Amino acid sequence: MDQKSIRNFCIIAHIDHGKSTLADRLIELTGTLRKDKIIQQVMDSMDLERERGITIKAKAVRLGYHSGAGELFRLNLIDTPGHVDFSYEVSRTLVACEGAVLVIDATQGIQAQTLANTYIAMEHNLEVIPVINKIDLPGSEPEHVMKEIETVLGYKSSEVLLISAKTGQGVPELIEAIVHRVPPPAGRSDLPLRALIFDSHYDDYKGVIAYIRVVDGVMETGAKLRLMGQGTHMEVLELGYFAPGPTPEDRLEAGEVGYIATGLKSVKECRVGDTITLASGGARQPLIGYELPKPMVFAGIYPTQADEYADLREAIEKLNLNDASLTFEPESSPILGQGFRCGFLGLLHLDIVVERLEREFGLSLVVTVPGVKFMVTKTNGERLAVTSPVDFPEPTEIQKTEEPWVGISIVTPSGFIGALMDVMQEYEGVYKHTEYLGQITVMGEESQRVRLEYEMPLRSMLTTFYDSLKSRSRGYASLDHEFLGYREARLVKLDVLVNELKVDAFSRIIPPEKAHDTGKSVVSKLKEVIPRQLFKVPIQAAIGSRIVAREDISARRKDVLAKCYGGDITRKRKLLEKQKEGKKKMKMIGRVEVPKEAFLEIMKLG
Amino acid sequence: MMTAVQFAELIHCIGQAFTVDKQAEITAEINPGTLASGYLKDLRSCGVNRLSIGVQSLNDDELVLLGRLHTASEALAAFRTACRSGFDNINIDLIYGLPGQGTETWERTLNLAVSLDPGHLSLYCLSLEEPAVLARQIEAGKLPPLDPDMAAGQYELAEAMLERYGYRHYEISNWAKPGYECRHNLSCWNMDSYLGLGVAASSYLGKHRKTNVACLDEYISLVCSGAATLTETDEETGCELQLAEAVILALRLEKGVDIARFNREYGIDLLRHYHCQISELEDLELLSCKEDSLSLTPKGRLLGNEAFWRFLPEQPG
Repeated sequence: MDQKSIRNFCIIAHIDHGKSTLADRLIELTGTLRKDKIIQQVMDSMDLERERGITIKAKAVRLGYHSGAGELFRLNLIDTPGHVDFSYEVSRTLVACEGAVLVIDATQGIQAQTLANTYIAMEHNLEVIPVINKIDLPGSEPEHVMKEIETVLGYKSSEVLLISAKTGQGVPELIEAIVHRVPPPAGRSDLPLRALIFDSHYDDYKGVIAYIRVVDGVMETGAKLRLMGQGTHMEVLELGYFAPGPTPEDRLEAGEVGYIATGLKSVKECRVGDTITLASGGARQPLIGYELPKPMVFAGIYPTQADEYADLREAIEKLNLNDASLTFEPESSPILGQGFRCGFLGLLHLDIVVERLEREFGLSLVVTVPGVKFMVTKTNGERLAVTSPVDFPEPTEIQKTEEPWVGISIVTPSGFIGALMDVMQEYEGVYKHTEYLGQITVMGEESQRVRLEYEMPLRSMLTTFYDSLKSRSRGYASLDHEFLGYREARLVKLDVLVNELKVDAFSRIIPPEKAHDTGKSVVSKLKEVIPRQLFKVPIQAAIGSRIVAREDISARRKDVLAKCYGGDITRKRKLLEKQKEGKKKMKMIGRVEVPKEAFLEIMKLG
Repeated sequence: MMTAVQFAELIHCIGQAFTVDKQAEITAEINPGTLASGYLKDLRSCGVNRLSIGVQSLNDDELVLLGRLHTASEALAAFRTACRSGFDNINIDLIYGLPGQGTETWERTLNLAVSLDPGHLSLYCLSLEEPAVLARQIEAGKLPPLDPDMAAGQYELAEAMLERYGYRHYEISNWAKPGYECRHNLSCWNMDSYLGLGVAASSYLGKHRKTNVACLDEYISLVCSGAATLTETDEETGCELQLAEAVILALRLEKGVDIARFNREYGIDLLRHYHCQISELEDLELLSCKEDSLSLTPKGRLLGNEAFWRFLPEQPG
């Protein structure tokens, strides 16, 4: 295939605006897969992704297309993760493309991640084709959205296409636009090999599969390769492209997108963003600088039953083969036993990992309150990274504490501005700026939309923030955030004592002004959620030795089967057996029996 | 509802098939709302010598709440009719722990019941399975939720009052004047064998707990076709489970577990076999372990389940 006939592009959009449906439609319309063979949303191959409506792993599909003029083109579609937790993966994918199709929902207009993704695409100098999707829906308002795109993003209406990915309307025109507007890849086959790894995936049989974009040179089966950043050596065991299933090939030339099977044991050896070259006589300069993705959110993960620790360890290690950004270290707690302190890219990443551990490995887990990494400078000059409240030094030893801050972008109909500003204040947000977007119909009325810009400590985002935002805006607000850096903070450690026993799992780092309120809500939540015992149980929140809140759970007085006669002895016995089984599922805090749900409930508190 | 004639036939058939002890306890359960005149007298003359009256409450509002068809005065009248019809051994069923009941109304109901001087009283805490309509109303917020602390207080009040009036609290939910204990229930708590006849009836024979088919049509067709068995469920309890059941049932009785008898019957050393459970329950003040018996403390009677489940054997798998 002539390099001039190749087009490498991706689809970027806010969540649920139709990225995956459009991918399906493109695959179908280019004849790459017959309609009856498309299981809805071919490119999301994990059940979990499909359920959450998000793509976690980027994939690449080669589409063949005969243009109106009768020319044959090769379109390489690279599907990107849409979530800000995985922004590192998104930006690596964009580097592999020359163009991006920007999809905007005709019933919603520009949302927070539409903007974030567009800016990244512009930073990478991609040719952006804006597309208004879902024009088939009754609530669609393409004229409003068109105006918004003109004013906010600066594109002319002649550049914007109207489509319905679901029905296919406008999609053939989109494919023509991709062919005509997206430039062919630059790069030369006669130069030494340079290929970018824009994603990787561990396969039990083939080892690590690296998804690559060949920029210069030629990739061939059997080639001996070297990673320019990590230094790993590997061999091309298999080479090919996806159409959409893996299709082996002997060579991939400059401008092409495909995969190689490396035989490597873990994705950590073959990191996204690194440049591949030949082991001998290779290139001098890597394509881009690559950096290790940094975990931002930390939590302790423990098995509910102590004897499942080994199973948990095995499961995390297995998951790690395919998830290079998950970090973990053994940790132990007097109450929870043996577990791991894990680092995640964000809250979504945490949710996904926990759910996969529970579902794919059948584990029952307890997860502690998620936290950020604090940088603490002690009075003796030592500078510590603290990822668990337990490691937070005593107040007397602390000279300075720093915590990560994020920039927040909220897109909302103007009617909710007041409510959302209240929310931001509650969560320690600092107002920066308001940008006016377009009009859209909200609940039957025309409404002005705005983008609110704030800065806030990442710590505040971690528990109930997102839910508050959504509920105070009746679901209309959308959110994007980016890491800004570390700033100084005044913080203390709030401890929780159950029956006078300190429970590490519930400790959290908060500003001193919030001590009383947070203490009160944690303590009342615990009182609600911990069942009455056979003795009275005091629940206390404390800062150091100072109690800031207290509730008592009174002892249970009654629990007996009133009737037990001949006819129902077996049934009553089974009730008792259930009661006995239930005890096994409890976590013990000293003498207090606590159901696993209690830990989860506490985590939901702000 | 069975007629007196049907009662007579039934008792006659039993007499033909079995040897019936002259002192046998023959109980009929009745509802005070549905008594025709002369019915109780007819029952007595058939040979029924004990009555269990489902009074449930002597407060008209509560009776409406429970969906009963009788009023308090009808219940009192039924009792008096029973006495006049020659019944000397009568049990009254009452329910406490009703949503919004309070201790005063409970005390009044108890006083009224005791003033009738029945030989036996069964007091049950409301459980939400019985009138399912109550559960729905509570869920809909039309009634206050059940209050276990209130129920505990009502139970303790009943214990104190009935003791004053000469009743022996011989089982967790049952009180009787000496000699008026319910013999058929005692045989169940003592793990004696018993045979159940009729639809859905249960039996305990040769270490097997069985129940008959629950569907009337099926039962009738099985009987008519001369089927060999009318059993629907049959559980053979293994040794460990049998022992556990025996202990649990015995603990429901005031006299508790007779250690020496258990050791003989089951060929074990009970105190050693359940050593852990017993010491744990003693620490929790739910169990009292004396030289010859194990019994629930007053606190343990209220929290009986906590004692019971601990004696159950581990489930396989």
